[in-house]
Amino acid sequence: MRPEDLLRHPLPTQTPKLTLGCSLLDRLLGGGIPCYTITEIVAESGTGKTQLSLQLLLAAQLPVSRGGLSASSLYLHSEFPFPFRRLHQLSLFYKTDLPHDPLERIFVQTLQSADHLLDLLPRLDFLLPKLNIKLIIIDSVAALFRGEFENTPLELKRRSSMFFKISSKLRFYSHKFGLAVVLTNQVVDVMQSSDNLRIGNSAFFCSSGRRVCAALGLSWANCVNTRLFMWREEERVGEDCESFERMQTRRFIRVVFAPHLPDSSCEFVIRREGVLGCIDDNGQRK
Amino acid sequence: MEVSTLPISASHRGKLISSGYTSLSSLSSVSPSRLSQDLKISENEAVEILKVASRRSGSEKIENGNHAIMNGAQTAWDMLREEESSVCITTSCSDVDVILGGGIRCKEVTEIGGVPGIGKTQLGIQLAVNVQIPSGYGGLGGKAIYIDTEGSFMVERALQIAEACAQDMVEYDNLLRKDSQACRVIKQPKAFLENIFYFRICTYTEQIAVINYLEKFISEHKDVKVVIVDSITFHFRQDFEDMALRTRLLGGMALKLMKLAKQFKLAVVLLNQVTTKYNEGSFQLTLALGDSWSHASTNRIILHWNGDERYAYLDKSPSLRSASAPYAVTGKGIRNAAPNCKRVKLM
Repeated sequence: MRPEDLLRHPLPTQTPKLTLGCSLLDRLLGGGIPCYTITEIVAESGTGKTQLSLQLLLAAQLPVSRGGLSASSLYLHSEFPFPFRRLHQLSLFYKTDLPHDPLERIFVQTLQSADHLLDLLPRLDFLLPKLNIKLIIIDSVAALFRGEFENTPLELKRRSSMFFKISSKLRFYSHKFGLAVVLTNQVVDVMQSSDNLRIGNSAFFCSSGRRVCAALGLSWANCVNTRLFMWREEERVGEDCESFERMQTRRFIRVVFAPHLPDSSCEFVIRREGVLGCIDDNGQRK
Repeated sequence: MEVSTLPISASHRGKLISSGYTSLSSLSSVSPSRLSQDLKISENEAVEILKVASRRSGSEKIENGNHAIMNGAQTAWDMLREEESSVCITTSCSDVDVILGGGIRCKEVTEIGGVPGIGKTQLGIQLAVNVQIPSGYGGLGGKAIYIDTEGSFMVERALQIAEACAQDMVEYDNLLRKDSQACRVIKQPKAFLENIFYFRICTYTEQIAVINYLEKFISEHKDVKVVIVDSITFHFRQDFEDMALRTRLLGGMALKLMKLAKQFKLAVVLLNQVTTKYNEGSFQLTLALGDSWSHASTNRIILHWNGDERYAYLDKSPSLRSASAPYAVTGKGIRNAAPNCKRVKLM
């Protein structure tokens, strides 16, 4: 490996991107999930991270002309159980677009811990080109680190060290094979009184009426290139005949930080066909 | 009387002594024209006398008109004149340029640190584009080296910023109704991209190899005027079993970069991350890589949030006072913050 080989000149004028399967969401992301970088989706449980991940697993198999990567996907999950039934249901909507059975091009591996992930990553050198994998999703990164590290400075330092090791390896393979890497992360509650460290486009984020921020802290925030935040709100839509309040869940996604995107957000819904962006009553994407 | 021992003609010797040149040291700092005036001899003869004197005193050479005592030394006067005439790289935000004394300086290492999402990469890309502004518009007309360790460089964003820069130059032209051809060099956004030498590195060994290789690369590409490393920290925050090795590697890197800046008269910009330091019972934000690394840079700028605004704070500079300035990250790149914000705040 000579230093001259590390020079990429001239630069390509476009980065390949993976569609999210919805044109509105793609517009939010400037075309889709970019390859060669790490994108993180932060959300509370039940907001739609896994739904969106499953959609990406299928979208990756679409031809490049349709915004896909024409390749297989790898799904590493640390949260159980694996949503097989939902994946199967979603895949029915893609069967017409793909000549093969979409489920055959999705590879799944469970992760027990962060060490397990580190052990697994070197095997990617061999697996990725062999299986033509161009998308890796890790759902979720936070679960790998929960409960394993004590709250002492030494342990936190060790944990932080692991973040950089994992991120470094993921970035290496992402660059070497042109992968899109998507990680999901959980949220933690933020106490009102503490000095909240602001990371990204908003001083604080709310989900389900509580102030939250991304799990894993400041060190981990340095390990991803793009961070997206999904949240949900309960909205009162009126009273029904027995004067009970009727509530509706609304879901939103927002760019927290990204090297190529402005601060913008979009409402979305989860339908049988998948996660779809929606336009508000004024006809504008919010 | 050392002059009397010089192997020169008796008449010259006599003239030297009567004019007051009695020692070799007095001859080491006089120019031939001055000597010929004093002794009323031709300049060629004066040069001959000085040559003999220098050979005798053992110094390597006496430069004509140059009062240098040693090779490579410069008088402070020359340095001041050089510094005053040097051009800085603008950040496209005039408030930030003001606190930086014009912009990012050449021949110096500037470190820029901040939390994720504050705009470090944006500023890096803006500088890589702005260094290419032709001298007719007040820029350096140079090229950039961008060393990307994290994969944050997005070509689409670089093209967007380059297009805005080209647009600004067109507006400047229209404003001043400049008709001269020399200023009409409006670049296409893609041309800006061609002048950025992009290195993507994935391990700390690659990082060190590239930084060591830069000397050779820049000697072959003399128009490179800025080296941006985004970020200098990332690969060094992993576990190093041997921390002494890490300190040595970082120290070596810092020295190499300082030497590059001075040798090729270019600006070195290092983007750094922040971490929390436990200090007297509370957590403080500080730049990563520790205290010994903080000596590596000549200037340090910290980017931070103040409410909903982004601020750049000049933390370390050899000649400027600490000051803070707001800036904004827009579709066009780094620009001044909206007008209703406070202006430059001096500390």
